[in-house]
Amino acid sequence: MYKYVIRRLLFALPVLLLSSLIVFGLMRVMPGDALVALMGESGNVGQRELAKLRTDLGLDRPYHEQYLIWVWQMVSLNPGDSIFTNEPIAVALKKSIPVTLELATLAMVLGLVIAIPIGVLSATRQDTPSDYVGRVVAVSGLSLPDFWLGTLVITFAAIWFHWIPPIGYVSFWESPWRNLQQFLLPAAVLGFRLSAATMRMTRSTVLEVLREDYVRTAWAKGLERRIVVYKHALKNALIPVVTIVGGQMATLLAGAVVVETIFALPGMGRLTVEAILFRDYPVVQTNVMLVAATLVTLNLLVDLTYAWLDPRIRYR
Amino acid sequence: MPADTPRRIAVRKHKHVNRRDFLRRVGWGGVGATALVAGAGQARAAAPAAATYPDWIPASPKPPKRGGVLTRASAWDPPVIDPRLTQSVGLFQFAGLTSNRLVRHPFSDEAAGPSDLTLKGDLAESWTASPDHRVWTFKLRQGVRWQNVPPLNGRDLVAADVKYCFEAYAREGVQAFTFQEIEGMETPDKYTLRVHLHTSNVLFPQNLAEPVAVIFAREVLEEDGDLKKRMLGTGPYILKEHTRKVRVVLQRNPDYFDKGRPYVDEYVILSTPDAATRLAAFRTGQSDIIWLASPSEVETVRKTNPAIVVQSYHNTLAPFGLALAQDRPPFNDVRVRRAVSMAIDRQRQVDTVYEGHGIAGWGVPYIYYRDKAPTVKDLGPWWQYRPEEAKRLLAEAGHPRGFETTLFYYEYFPQMTSQVQLVQQELKKNLNIDVKITKLDYTTYYGRYVEGKWDGMSWGFQSGHAVGLDERTYHYMHSKSTKNFFRVNDPVIDELTTKLRRTPDRAEQRALTRKIVDREFDQVLRMWMPYDNGFLVFQPHMRNVAAGALRRTDGYGSPTITRSWIDK
Repeated sequence: MYKYVIRRLLFALPVLLLSSLIVFGLMRVMPGDALVALMGESGNVGQRELAKLRTDLGLDRPYHEQYLIWVWQMVSLNPGDSIFTNEPIAVALKKSIPVTLELATLAMVLGLVIAIPIGVLSATRQDTPSDYVGRVVAVSGLSLPDFWLGTLVITFAAIWFHWIPPIGYVSFWESPWRNLQQFLLPAAVLGFRLSAATMRMTRSTVLEVLREDYVRTAWAKGLERRIVVYKHALKNALIPVVTIVGGQMATLLAGAVVVETIFALPGMGRLTVEAILFRDYPVVQTNVMLVAATLVTLNLLVDLTYAWLDPRIRYR
Repeated sequence: MPADTPRRIAVRKHKHVNRRDFLRRVGWGGVGATALVAGAGQARAAAPAAATYPDWIPASPKPPKRGGVLTRASAWDPPVIDPRLTQSVGLFQFAGLTSNRLVRHPFSDEAAGPSDLTLKGDLAESWTASPDHRVWTFKLRQGVRWQNVPPLNGRDLVAADVKYCFEAYAREGVQAFTFQEIEGMETPDKYTLRVHLHTSNVLFPQNLAEPVAVIFAREVLEEDGDLKKRMLGTGPYILKEHTRKVRVVLQRNPDYFDKGRPYVDEYVILSTPDAATRLAAFRTGQSDIIWLASPSEVETVRKTNPAIVVQSYHNTLAPFGLALAQDRPPFNDVRVRRAVSMAIDRQRQVDTVYEGHGIAGWGVPYIYYRDKAPTVKDLGPWWQYRPEEAKRLLAEAGHPRGFETTLFYYEYFPQMTSQVQLVQQELKKNLNIDVKITKLDYTTYYGRYVEGKWDGMSWGFQSGHAVGLDERTYHYMHSKSTKNFFRVNDPVIDELTTKLRRTPDRAEQRALTRKIVDREFDQVLRMWMPYDNGFLVFQPHMRNVAAGALRRTDGYGSPTITRSWIDK
């Protein structure tokens, strides 16, 4: 098991290296740089001033030098400062990661709370109205884009209830109640989308498992429906579900960009998008690497979860 | 269908909904829902035209009340808080409240109307010029203290502070062009600043009244090396918190030189990038001020918030227009520029894109050369929609079959894309000009546009912050100016804009400005496009918040909040 984990971690290195090259290259291929963005709306900077600022920020150095400096900064866990704001990236991340983490966790929890029971219900009551309703909900979740759903939710909450989540992020530790008010709606929007694929996967795998011999045997033994479905069928049906949930982390992070914008949450998504728009190279590069590392780790965790769910699986 | 067909009976018997039945019902349900939504949309479209809202809200006659928190959901975030590095509205939506300028424009409770741009002393009590307008002497207000925050700790503001600040602006950054006009400065005494200019400029104080020309603290720049971390000034509000992408909190400065002011204890600007969320925040009372673009939006908000106060904002200029590569073919031929201009139906854009609440488009604020906003007819022959004449002119210029060109733009607001597409259609239909459109992200667009080496066309802009005549004429149109993005290179314009700077008489200034504008329109040097007027909408308890021309209360006109108060 340990060998397996170490091997997987070693395999992750080239993946991260490749990611770093891609993100570094893509950022340099994009036209314009942070200074151009910074001077925007000003319309008043001579080439001499721009050149001086570029030198001050090290943007005039050869690309390979810039890349090596950045890689060293990443390896030494000091990603440097934002070109745009001068703020240390570590500080910016310290502020934004908890926001996205909270949003993602709540969305994931809400998504699973919606998806698994409805998926099971759909499967155990196949072709009944409740199954159809469940499937319609799932298809809706897949087809309604986050930006549309988020806008709709916030608009109608304002019109019908004269209430929207309080704007102006407050951390959980400052004011738990206000924080939860700020996060529940966006997490529900994000979770709804996440729940759709999970719901469909749960339904189909539970349906498949329910037709297995050992389930029939469980029925034949006269076990309660609850025990047959949840203890025997569901646990075995969960492996593909766990795979899909792990894979959804990337979708979740992408969705977080939109949801954070709509609900004015200062998370990683907004930080990254703004940094891309303003060509804040170090911030974009660090954020992308962080996401890449997170996804690699999550994939590993998902693989390790299989063994817990199915004792027949062994890692060597 | 009969009531009890065998199929229906079967369905009831098995307690199953047949798949086809289900789909059919869902289908009909969907059709019904669509009809309902479409109907609702229809009802909105058919809503009565927007009521006429006043373009000015006079100052409240009641005695002002102290206290309260003013909150605004804002689309903008300051990119940095260093006024040397940006002129972004994100910063100047509050920098004018933490800091002062030497001179300013009237606040809403002092102004006679939106177009009142009479200069008033801010940090300066008075100012005079030498006969040739090359030397300007500013007498500073005495007893003005920096905010009582380290490292300034409420020390007196002196002329040397202003001198240091202007020198720093001239040295680097986005205001260099304005301040490099200064040849030298001297401070004969603690409260007098004498500014020597390279050349005469009667409009120099106007440039110092621009919302971006704020006086920052010398100590901060010296200690930090930049102004990106702290913003300290002499203004009515102290910057208490600036959390990027979350909020800016301004707290009343108890030592502000204008005793008793400001009235509001705290001004909170909430970073809210999404327009729907800003609207929802306003509807639910989380925001006290909102900008709405169209009459229908105002009407929609009035349905849920009938007591709102609306100011119909009338733009005095359009910041966007077609910028042509007029230094190379085919746009170096004035006939081509005129033909293109005549092939575009500006009124159609105003009526369709801006629901009739927009201006036809011109670049110099009309208030400097005429009393009323021009209509399309007032812009001269080349700005009328005359496709046949345009076709003839283009043929005369040697392009009877049109030509191919490009247009790149950044979508500053959604209506812009509609305008770009309308222009593309009209140029194809009327002149057989094929326009290949490229929509870019902001940084790519901005970099390409200001570099000034592009071919074809761009949906160009002029900076939004400038209020003064000098900025809007010499700075944006003189061939030697670094802000001349439209690539105007016209000796007549150069001569007129330079002459304007040497003409102290207001009547003569108006006449000269008129000549500049006439020349611009005649030569189609900058092809302005329609722009929205919009509405500023306030919660009913807000007082003294009206926006002046070129200075919206929620943007560059933020200093007027010094005189605003909350009536509840």
